[in-house]
Amino acid sequence: MALWNKKLYPLVAILAGLFIIVFGLVMAKEMLVCSIFLAAVFVWLLLFGCRKSCLHALPMFLIVAGIFFGIFYGATGTVDSGWAMANRFGAVFLAIVPGMSTTPVRMTRSLSQVHTPRSVTLGMLIAMSFVPMLKGEIKRVREAMKTRGAGSVLNPKILYRAFLVPLVMRLVNISDTLALSVETRGFALGKVRYTIYKREKIALSDIVFVLGLIAGAVLVIVL
Amino acid sequence: MNQEEEKKTTKEQDAAQALIANTEETAESAPEQENVVASAPAKEAEDKNKMFRKYKIKDIVFLAIMAACMLVTGAIMPLAAQVPVFGIIQVCLGLQFSIFPVIGMMKVRKPGALLFMSLCCGVVLVFMNAVMFVCLLICAVIAEGLVLLIFRGYKKDGACLLAGTVYFPVTLPFLYIYYRFMYSWTGEEGQAVNAFLGSSAGMAVGMSIAVLAICFIGALVGLFISQELRKSGVMKK
Repeated sequence: MALWNKKLYPLVAILAGLFIIVFGLVMAKEMLVCSIFLAAVFVWLLLFGCRKSCLHALPMFLIVAGIFFGIFYGATGTVDSGWAMANRFGAVFLAIVPGMSTTPVRMTRSLSQVHTPRSVTLGMLIAMSFVPMLKGEIKRVREAMKTRGAGSVLNPKILYRAFLVPLVMRLVNISDTLALSVETRGFALGKVRYTIYKREKIALSDIVFVLGLIAGAVLVIVL
Repeated sequence: MNQEEEKKTTKEQDAAQALIANTEETAESAPEQENVVASAPAKEAEDKNKMFRKYKIKDIVFLAIMAACMLVTGAIMPLAAQVPVFGIIQVCLGLQFSIFPVIGMMKVRKPGALLFMSLCCGVVLVFMNAVMFVCLLICAVIAEGLVLLIFRGYKKDGACLLAGTVYFPVTLPFLYIYYRFMYSWTGEEGQAVNAFLGSSAGMAVGMSIAVLAICFIGALVGLFISQELRKSGVMKK
Protein backbone atom coordinates (compact mmCIF):
# COMPACT_ATOMS: atom_id res chain seq x y z
CA MET A 1 0.00 0.00 0.00
CA ALA A 2 1.36 3.40 -0.97
CA LEU A 3 1.83 5.84 1.89
CA TRP A 4 0.65 9.09 0.37
CA ASN A 5 -1.16 9.64 -2.92
CA LYS A 6 -1.48 13.15 -4.22
CA LYS A 7 -4.96 12.35 -5.53
CA LEU A 8 -7.83 10.54 -3.86
CA TYR A 9 -8.60 6.94 -4.84
CA PRO A 10 -11.53 7.27 -7.32
CA LEU A 11 -13.94 4.99 -5.49
CA VAL A 12 -13.15 6.79 -2.23
CA ALA A 13 -13.93 10.05 -4.02
CA ILE A 14 -17.34 8.74 -5.15
CA LEU A 15 -18.22 7.52 -1.67
CA ALA A 16 -16.93 10.72 -0.05
CA GLY A 17 -19.09 12.80 -2.41
CA LEU A 18 -22.15 10.73 -1.55
CA PHE A 19 -21.45 10.96 2.16
CA ILE A 20 -20.96 14.74 2.09
CA ILE A 21 -24.17 15.42 0.18
CA VAL A 22 -26.35 13.08 2.25
CA PHE A 23 -24.94 14.19 5.59
CA GLY A 24 -24.91 17.86 4.61
CA LEU A 25 -28.54 17.82 3.46
CA VAL A 26 -29.72 15.92 6.53
CA MET A 27 -27.89 18.27 8.91
CA ALA A 28 -28.56 21.51 7.00
CA LYS A 29 -31.06 22.75 9.56
CA GLU A 30 -28.47 22.55 12.36
CA MET A 31 -27.17 25.87 11.13
CA LEU A 32 -23.91 26.63 12.93
CA VAL A 33 -22.72 23.05 13.44
CA CYS A 34 -23.39 22.13 9.81
CA SER A 35 -21.58 25.24 8.57
CA ILE A 36 -18.55 24.39 10.70
CA PHE A 37 -18.62 20.80 9.39
CA LEU A 38 -18.78 21.97 5.79
CA ALA A 39 -15.96 24.44 6.34
CA ALA A 40 -13.86 21.66 7.87
CA VAL A 41 -14.64 19.40 4.90
CA PHE A 42 -13.56 22.19 2.58
CA VAL A 43 -10.19 22.45 4.35
CA TRP A 44 -9.90 18.65 4.43
CA LEU A 45 -10.47 18.44 0.69
CA LEU A 46 -7.91 21.21 0.14
CA LEU A 47 -5.36 19.12 2.01
CA PHE A 48 -6.12 15.91 0.09
CA GLY A 49 -5.42 16.91 -3.48
CA CYS A 50 -8.67 18.67 -4.37
CA ARG A 51 -7.30 22.20 -4.18
CA LYS A 52 -8.05 23.18 -7.78
CA SER A 53 -11.61 21.88 -7.70
CA CYS A 54 -12.23 23.52 -4.32
CA LEU A 55 -11.09 26.88 -5.66
CA HIS A 56 -13.26 26.42 -8.75
CA ALA A 57 -16.33 25.55 -6.72
CA LEU A 58 -15.93 28.30 -4.09
CA PRO A 59 -16.91 31.36 -6.19
CA MET A 60 -19.83 29.45 -7.73
CA PHE A 61 -21.03 28.48 -4.26
CA LEU A 62 -20.73 32.05 -2.97
CA ILE A 63 -22.79 33.43 -5.86
CA VAL A 64 -25.54 30.78 -5.80
CA ALA A 65 -25.77 30.56 -2.01
CA GLY A 66 -25.79 34.37 -1.81
CA ILE A 67 -28.69 34.61 -4.28
CA PHE A 68 -30.77 31.96 -2.53
CA PHE A 69 -29.93 33.34 0.90
CA GLY A 70 -31.23 36.70 -0.30
CA ILE A 71 -34.42 35.18 -1.73
CA PHE A 72 -35.22 33.18 1.38
CA TYR A 73 -34.31 36.02 3.72
CA GLY A 74 -36.56 38.31 1.70
CA ALA A 75 -39.41 35.79 1.69
CA THR A 76 -39.36 34.76 5.35
CA GLY A 77 -37.68 37.72 7.03
CA THR A 78 -35.49 35.40 9.13
CA VAL A 79 -31.85 34.45 8.69
CA ASP A 80 -32.47 30.80 9.58
CA SER A 81 -34.10 29.63 6.34
CA GLY A 82 -31.49 31.43 4.26
CA TRP A 83 -28.69 29.96 6.32
CA ALA A 84 -30.11 26.42 5.99
CA MET A 85 -30.33 27.00 2.26
CA ALA A 86 -26.70 28.12 2.13
CA ASN A 87 -25.74 24.96 4.04
CA ARG A 88 -27.57 22.80 1.49
CA PHE A 89 -25.78 24.49 -1.38
CA GLY A 90 -22.50 24.12 0.50
CA ALA A 91 -23.11 20.37 0.77
CA VAL A 92 -24.01 20.14 -2.92
CA PHE A 93 -20.91 22.04 -4.08
CA LEU A 94 -18.57 20.18 -1.73
CA ALA A 95 -19.98 16.83 -2.86
CA ILE A 96 -19.09 17.69 -6.44
CA VAL A 97 -15.46 18.55 -5.54
CA PRO A 98 -14.05 14.98 -5.10
CA GLY A 99 -15.68 13.93 -8.36
CA MET A 100 -14.32 16.96 -10.17
CA SER A 101 -10.78 16.24 -9.00
CA THR A 102 -10.88 12.64 -10.28
CA THR A 103 -10.07 12.30 -13.96
CA PRO A 104 -12.39 10.12 -16.07
CA VAL A 105 -9.46 7.87 -17.00
CA ARG A 106 -8.60 7.10 -13.37
CA MET A 107 -12.26 6.53 -12.58
CA THR A 108 -12.60 4.10 -15.49
CA ARG A 109 -9.41 2.29 -14.56
CA SER A 110 -10.56 1.93 -11.01
CA LEU A 111 -14.02 0.67 -12.01
CA SER A 112 -12.42 -1.81 -14.42
CA GLN A 113 -10.36 -3.13 -11.53
CA VAL A 114 -13.55 -3.98 -9.65
CA HIS A 115 -14.87 -5.80 -12.76
CA THR A 116 -17.52 -3.30 -13.83
CA PRO A 117 -18.94 -4.30 -17.26
CA ARG A 118 -16.93 -2.86 -20.15
CA SER A 119 -19.96 -1.22 -21.74
CA VAL A 120 -20.64 0.72 -18.54
CA THR A 121 -17.05 1.89 -18.09
CA LEU A 122 -16.80 2.87 -21.76
CA GLY A 123 -20.10 4.74 -21.62
CA MET A 124 -19.10 6.49 -18.45
CA LEU A 125 -15.69 7.41 -19.81
CA ILE A 126 -17.22 8.91 -22.95
CA ALA A 127 -19.97 10.72 -21.04
CA MET A 128 -17.44 12.28 -18.67
CA SER A 129 -14.76 13.17 -21.19
CA PHE A 130 -17.18 14.37 -23.82
CA VAL A 131 -18.43 17.31 -21.76
CA PRO A 132 -15.61 19.76 -22.71
CA MET A 133 -15.83 18.65 -26.34
CA LEU A 134 -19.57 19.23 -26.30
CA LYS A 135 -19.05 22.74 -24.99
CA GLY A 136 -16.68 23.35 -27.91
CA GLU A 137 -19.25 22.03 -30.38
CA ILE A 138 -21.99 24.22 -28.92
CA LYS A 139 -19.67 27.22 -29.24
CA ARG A 140 -18.93 26.37 -32.88
CA VAL A 141 -22.61 26.00 -33.77
CA ARG A 142 -23.37 29.32 -32.11
CA GLU A 143 -20.55 30.98 -33.99
CA ALA A 144 -21.95 29.57 -37.23
CA MET A 145 -25.33 30.98 -36.26
CA LYS A 146 -23.79 34.39 -35.72
CA THR A 147 -22.00 34.22 -39.06
CA ARG A 148 -25.23 33.36 -40.84
CA GLY A 149 -27.08 36.06 -38.91
CA ALA A 150 -29.57 33.51 -37.63
CA GLY A 151 -30.76 35.60 -34.69
CA SER A 152 -31.46 34.74 -31.07
CA VAL A 153 -31.53 31.19 -29.68
CA LEU A 154 -34.54 32.19 -27.61
CA ASN A 155 -36.68 32.06 -30.75
CA PRO A 156 -37.97 28.43 -30.85
CA LYS A 157 -37.83 28.20 -34.67
CA ILE A 158 -34.24 29.40 -34.78
CA LEU A 159 -33.33 27.21 -31.82
CA TYR A 160 -34.64 24.15 -33.67
CA ARG A 161 -33.47 24.87 -37.21
CA ALA A 162 -30.17 26.66 -36.66
CA PHE A 163 -29.01 25.23 -33.35
CA LEU A 164 -30.45 21.82 -32.45
CA VAL A 165 -30.41 20.19 -35.90
CA PRO A 166 -26.77 21.14 -36.73
CA LEU A 167 -25.66 20.22 -33.21
CA VAL A 168 -27.22 16.76 -33.30
CA MET A 169 -25.86 16.29 -36.83
CA ARG A 170 -22.35 17.00 -35.56
CA LEU A 171 -22.88 14.68 -32.60
CA VAL A 172 -23.96 11.82 -34.85
CA ASN A 173 -20.89 12.30 -37.05
CA ILE A 174 -18.60 12.51 -34.02
CA SER A 175 -20.13 9.36 -32.52
CA ASP A 176 -19.56 7.42 -35.76
CA THR A 177 -15.90 8.49 -35.88
CA LEU A 178 -15.42 7.81 -32.20
CA ALA A 179 -16.96 4.34 -32.48
CA LEU A 180 -14.65 3.49 -35.38
CA SER A 181 -11.69 4.80 -33.45
CA VAL A 182 -12.61 2.74 -30.38
CA GLU A 183 -13.01 -0.41 -32.48
CA THR A 184 -9.72 0.05 -34.32
CA ARG A 185 -7.98 0.31 -30.96
CA GLY A 186 -9.05 -3.22 -30.23
CA PHE A 187 -11.83 -2.42 -27.80
CA ALA A 188 -14.39 -5.20 -27.54
CA LEU A 189 -17.55 -5.70 -25.57
CA GLY A 190 -18.36 -8.93 -23.82
CA LYS A 191 -16.16 -11.25 -21.85
CA VAL A 192 -12.80 -10.46 -23.39
CA ARG A 193 -9.68 -10.50 -21.22
CA TYR A 194 -7.89 -7.18 -20.88
CA THR A 195 -4.90 -5.82 -19.04
CA ILE A 196 -4.82 -2.77 -16.81
CA TYR A 197 -1.27 -1.51 -17.12
CA LYS A 198 -1.47 1.13 -14.43
CA ARG A 199 -3.48 -0.07 -11.48
CA GLU A 200 -5.12 2.33 -9.05
CA LYS A 201 -4.12 1.55 -5.50
CA ILE A 202 -5.62 2.68 -2.26
CA ALA A 203 -3.13 4.63 -0.14
CA LEU A 204 -2.81 5.45 3.52
CA SER A 205 -3.82 9.02 2.68
CA ASP A 206 -7.22 7.75 1.48
CA ILE A 207 -7.82 5.98 4.77
CA VAL A 208 -6.82 9.11 6.72
CA PHE A 209 -9.17 11.14 4.54
CA VAL A 210 -12.13 8.82 5.17
CA LEU A 211 -11.41 8.62 8.90
CA GLY A 212 -11.26 12.41 9.07
CA LEU A 213 -14.65 12.71 7.37
CA ILE A 214 -16.23 10.15 9.70
CA ALA A 215 -14.69 11.82 12.75
CA GLY A 216 -16.10 15.18 11.63
CA ALA A 217 -19.57 13.71 11.15
CA VAL A 218 -19.48 12.02 14.55
CA LEU A 219 -18.41 15.29 16.18
CA VAL A 220 -21.32 17.11 14.50
CA ILE A 221 -23.81 14.53 15.78
CA VAL A 222 -22.34 14.56 19.29
CA LEU A 223 -22.21 18.35 19.51
CA MET B 1 18.33 -25.30 -77.65
CA ASN B 2 15.87 -28.22 -77.74
CA GLN B 3 16.55 -29.03 -74.10
CA GLU B 4 15.92 -25.40 -73.14
CA GLU B 5 12.67 -25.35 -75.08
CA GLU B 6 11.57 -28.59 -73.43
CA LYS B 7 12.35 -27.13 -69.99
CA LYS B 8 10.32 -24.04 -70.85
CA THR B 9 7.33 -26.08 -72.01
CA THR B 10 7.41 -28.30 -68.90
CA LYS B 11 7.54 -25.20 -66.70
CA GLU B 12 4.57 -23.71 -68.53
CA GLN B 13 2.70 -27.01 -68.25
CA ASP B 14 3.40 -27.19 -64.51
CA ALA B 15 2.20 -23.65 -64.04
CA ALA B 16 -0.92 -24.34 -66.07
CA GLN B 17 -1.65 -27.51 -64.08
CA ALA B 18 -1.18 -25.64 -60.79
CA LEU B 19 -3.53 -22.97 -62.03
CA ILE B 20 -6.14 -25.53 -63.03
CA ALA B 21 -5.82 -27.30 -59.68
CA ASN B 22 -6.22 -24.01 -57.87
CA THR B 23 -9.32 -23.11 -59.86
CA GLU B 24 -10.81 -26.52 -59.18
CA GLU B 25 -10.19 -26.09 -55.45
CA THR B 26 -11.83 -22.66 -55.39
CA ALA B 27 -14.71 -23.95 -57.48
CA GLU B 28 -15.27 -26.74 -54.95
CA SER B 29 -15.23 -24.40 -51.96
CA ALA B 30 -17.28 -21.65 -53.71
CA PRO B 31 -20.72 -23.03 -52.82
CA GLU B 32 -19.70 -23.20 -49.14
CA GLN B 33 -18.52 -19.57 -49.22
CA GLU B 34 -21.66 -18.51 -51.02
CA ASN B 35 -23.64 -20.16 -48.28
CA VAL B 36 -21.64 -18.28 -45.65
CA VAL B 37 -22.09 -14.93 -47.45
CA ALA B 38 -25.76 -15.59 -47.97
CA SER B 39 -26.29 -16.61 -44.37
CA ALA B 40 -24.75 -13.38 -42.92
CA PRO B 41 -27.49 -10.98 -44.09
CA ALA B 42 -30.10 -13.57 -43.23
CA LYS B 43 -28.71 -13.75 -39.71
CA GLU B 44 -28.69 -9.94 -39.49
CA ALA B 45 -32.30 -9.79 -40.65
CA GLU B 46 -33.18 -12.48 -38.13
CA ASP B 47 -31.42 -10.49 -35.41
CA LYS B 48 -33.34 -7.37 -36.39
CA ASN B 49 -36.60 -9.17 -35.81
CA LYS B 50 -35.60 -10.12 -32.29
CA MET B 51 -36.84 -7.97 -29.42
CA PHE B 52 -33.60 -8.10 -27.44
CA ARG B 53 -30.48 -7.58 -29.51
CA LYS B 54 -26.83 -7.30 -28.62
CA TYR B 55 -25.31 -3.87 -28.24
CA LYS B 56 -22.50 -2.83 -30.54
CA ILE B 57 -19.75 -0.39 -29.70
CA LYS B 58 -21.24 2.29 -31.94
CA ASP B 59 -24.52 2.03 -29.99
CA ILE B 60 -22.75 2.43 -26.68
CA VAL B 61 -20.77 5.43 -27.97
CA PHE B 62 -23.83 7.21 -29.34
CA LEU B 63 -25.87 6.63 -26.19
CA ALA B 64 -22.99 7.85 -24.04
CA ILE B 65 -22.76 11.03 -26.11
CA MET B 66 -26.49 11.61 -25.68
CA ALA B 67 -26.03 11.04 -21.94
CA ALA B 68 -23.27 13.67 -21.96
CA CYS B 69 -25.70 16.10 -23.61
CA MET B 70 -28.25 15.38 -20.89
CA LEU B 71 -25.56 15.86 -18.31
CA VAL B 72 -24.36 19.21 -19.62
CA THR B 73 -27.84 20.64 -20.00
CA GLY B 74 -28.92 19.10 -16.69
CA ALA B 75 -26.12 20.65 -14.67
CA ILE B 76 -28.61 22.97 -12.98
CA MET B 77 -30.34 20.00 -11.36
CA PRO B 78 -28.58 20.30 -7.95
CA LEU B 79 -29.49 23.97 -7.81
CA ALA B 80 -33.09 23.44 -8.90
CA ALA B 81 -33.43 20.56 -6.44
CA GLN B 82 -32.95 22.93 -3.52
CA VAL B 83 -35.92 25.10 -4.46
CA PRO B 84 -38.81 23.73 -2.42
CA VAL B 85 -41.44 23.67 -5.14
CA PHE B 86 -43.05 20.48 -6.34
CA GLY B 87 -41.77 19.44 -9.77
CA ILE B 88 -39.36 22.32 -10.22
CA ILE B 89 -36.54 19.98 -11.35
CA GLN B 90 -38.79 18.38 -13.94
CA VAL B 91 -40.00 21.74 -15.25
CA CYS B 92 -36.44 23.05 -15.58
CA LEU B 93 -35.02 19.90 -17.18
CA GLY B 94 -38.02 18.29 -18.85
CA LEU B 95 -37.16 19.53 -22.32
CA GLN B 96 -33.55 18.32 -22.34
CA PHE B 97 -34.38 15.04 -20.65
CA SER B 98 -36.88 14.19 -23.35
CA ILE B 99 -35.17 15.54 -26.50
CA PHE B 100 -31.86 13.69 -26.11
CA PRO B 101 -33.21 10.33 -24.89
CA VAL B 102 -35.64 10.26 -27.84
CA ILE B 103 -32.80 10.96 -30.29
CA GLY B 104 -30.78 8.20 -28.63
CA MET B 105 -33.64 5.71 -28.85
CA MET B 106 -34.44 6.66 -32.44
CA LYS B 107 -30.91 5.72 -33.47
CA VAL B 108 -30.33 2.77 -31.16
CA ARG B 109 -33.66 0.99 -31.32
CA LYS B 110 -32.87 -1.61 -28.71
CA PRO B 111 -34.41 -2.27 -25.31
CA GLY B 112 -32.17 -0.92 -22.58
CA ALA B 113 -31.09 2.19 -24.50
CA LEU B 114 -32.92 4.52 -22.13
CA LEU B 115 -31.62 2.66 -19.10
CA PHE B 116 -28.07 2.87 -20.40
CA MET B 117 -28.36 6.63 -20.99
CA SER B 118 -29.74 7.08 -17.48
CA LEU B 119 -26.88 5.06 -16.05
CA CYS B 120 -24.16 7.01 -17.90
CA CYS B 121 -25.77 10.29 -16.96
CA GLY B 122 -26.40 9.14 -13.41
CA VAL B 123 -22.83 8.11 -12.69
CA VAL B 124 -21.91 11.78 -12.77
CA LEU B 125 -25.22 13.03 -11.40
CA VAL B 126 -24.79 10.87 -8.33
CA PHE B 127 -22.29 13.43 -7.01
CA MET B 128 -24.81 16.23 -7.34
CA ASN B 129 -28.14 14.59 -6.62
CA ALA B 130 -28.00 10.98 -5.52
CA VAL B 131 -31.78 10.75 -5.10
CA MET B 132 -32.40 11.86 -8.65
CA PHE B 133 -29.95 9.26 -9.91
CA VAL B 134 -31.87 6.42 -8.30
CA CYS B 135 -35.17 7.95 -9.46
CA LEU B 136 -33.93 8.19 -13.04
CA LEU B 137 -32.86 4.55 -13.08
CA ILE B 138 -36.20 3.35 -11.71
CA CYS B 139 -38.12 5.56 -14.14
CA ALA B 140 -36.05 4.34 -17.07
CA VAL B 141 -36.95 0.77 -16.17
CA ILE B 142 -40.64 1.70 -15.92
CA ALA B 143 -40.63 3.60 -19.23
CA GLU B 144 -38.84 0.75 -21.00
CA GLY B 145 -41.23 -1.79 -19.49
CA LEU B 146 -44.23 0.20 -20.72
CA VAL B 147 -42.81 0.45 -24.23
CA LEU B 148 -42.01 -3.25 -24.36
CA LEU B 149 -45.50 -4.09 -23.14
CA ILE B 150 -47.30 -1.83 -25.60
CA PHE B 151 -45.04 -1.78 -28.66
CA ARG B 152 -42.86 -4.86 -28.04
CA GLY B 153 -39.72 -2.95 -28.96
CA TYR B 154 -38.54 0.34 -30.41
CA LYS B 155 -39.25 -0.35 -34.08
CA LYS B 156 -42.03 2.21 -34.24
CA ASP B 157 -41.42 5.92 -33.74
CA GLY B 158 -44.37 5.99 -31.38
CA ALA B 159 -42.48 3.76 -28.97
CA CYS B 160 -39.63 6.27 -28.72
CA LEU B 161 -42.12 9.10 -28.33
CA LEU B 162 -43.93 7.31 -25.51
CA ALA B 163 -40.72 6.44 -23.69
CA GLY B 164 -39.42 10.02 -24.02
CA THR B 165 -42.70 11.49 -22.77
CA VAL B 166 -43.16 9.16 -19.83
CA TYR B 167 -39.55 8.89 -18.68
CA PHE B 168 -39.12 12.14 -16.76
CA PRO B 169 -42.67 12.77 -15.42
CA VAL B 170 -42.60 9.33 -13.75
CA THR B 171 -39.96 10.71 -11.37
CA LEU B 172 -42.60 12.96 -9.76
CA PRO B 173 -44.39 10.33 -7.62
CA PHE B 174 -41.09 8.68 -6.74
CA LEU B 175 -39.61 11.93 -5.48
CA TYR B 176 -42.75 12.51 -3.46
CA ILE B 177 -42.50 9.08 -1.87
CA TYR B 178 -38.80 9.61 -1.18
CA TYR B 179 -39.30 12.96 0.53
CA ARG B 180 -42.19 11.66 2.59
CA PHE B 181 -40.22 8.61 3.67
CA MET B 182 -36.94 10.38 4.31
CA TYR B 183 -38.36 13.29 6.21
CA SER B 184 -40.70 11.19 8.27
CA TRP B 185 -37.63 9.19 9.22
CA THR B 186 -35.90 12.33 10.49
CA GLY B 187 -39.05 13.38 12.28
CA GLU B 188 -39.88 16.46 10.24
CA GLU B 189 -42.59 14.98 8.10
CA GLY B 190 -45.22 17.69 7.99
CA GLN B 191 -42.88 20.54 7.24
CA ALA B 192 -40.87 18.74 4.62
CA VAL B 193 -43.80 17.29 2.73
CA ASN B 194 -45.55 20.66 2.70
CA ALA B 195 -42.43 22.34 1.43
CA PHE B 196 -42.05 19.71 -1.26
CA LEU B 197 -45.64 19.87 -2.47
CA GLY B 198 -45.93 23.61 -2.45
CA SER B 199 -48.89 25.10 -0.65
CA SER B 200 -51.73 23.18 -2.29
CA ALA B 201 -52.62 19.95 -4.09
CA GLY B 202 -53.89 22.04 -7.00
CA MET B 203 -50.44 23.39 -7.53
CA ALA B 204 -49.01 19.86 -7.55
CA VAL B 205 -51.54 18.74 -10.17
CA GLY B 206 -50.85 21.85 -12.25
CA MET B 207 -47.11 21.27 -12.10
CA SER B 208 -47.55 17.61 -13.06
CA ILE B 209 -49.57 18.56 -16.13
CA ALA B 210 -46.98 21.19 -17.03
CA VAL B 211 -44.16 18.63 -16.71
CA LEU B 212 -46.04 16.15 -18.89
CA ALA B 213 -46.67 18.80 -21.54
CA ILE B 214 -43.03 19.95 -21.53
CA CYS B 215 -41.79 16.38 -21.86
CA PHE B 216 -44.22 15.63 -24.69
CA ILE B 217 -43.04 18.72 -26.57
CA GLY B 218 -39.41 17.72 -25.96
CA ALA B 219 -40.06 14.18 -27.17
CA LEU B 220 -41.75 15.53 -30.30
CA VAL B 221 -38.79 17.84 -31.00
CA GLY B 222 -36.42 14.89 -30.58
CA LEU B 223 -38.54 12.81 -32.94
CA PHE B 224 -38.59 15.54 -35.61
CA ILE B 225 -34.84 16.06 -35.37
CA SER B 226 -34.20 12.33 -35.78
CA GLN B 227 -36.59 12.04 -38.70
CA GLU B 228 -34.96 15.00 -40.39
CA LEU B 229 -31.50 13.55 -39.89
CA ARG B 230 -32.64 10.20 -41.21
CA LYS B 231 -34.04 11.84 -44.32
CA SER B 232 -30.74 13.63 -44.90
CA GLY B 233 -28.90 10.32 -44.48
CA VAL B 234 -26.89 11.34 -41.43
CA MET B 235 -28.71 9.02 -39.07
CA LYS B 236 -29.11 5.48 -40.29
CA LYS B 237 -31.85 3.30 -38.92
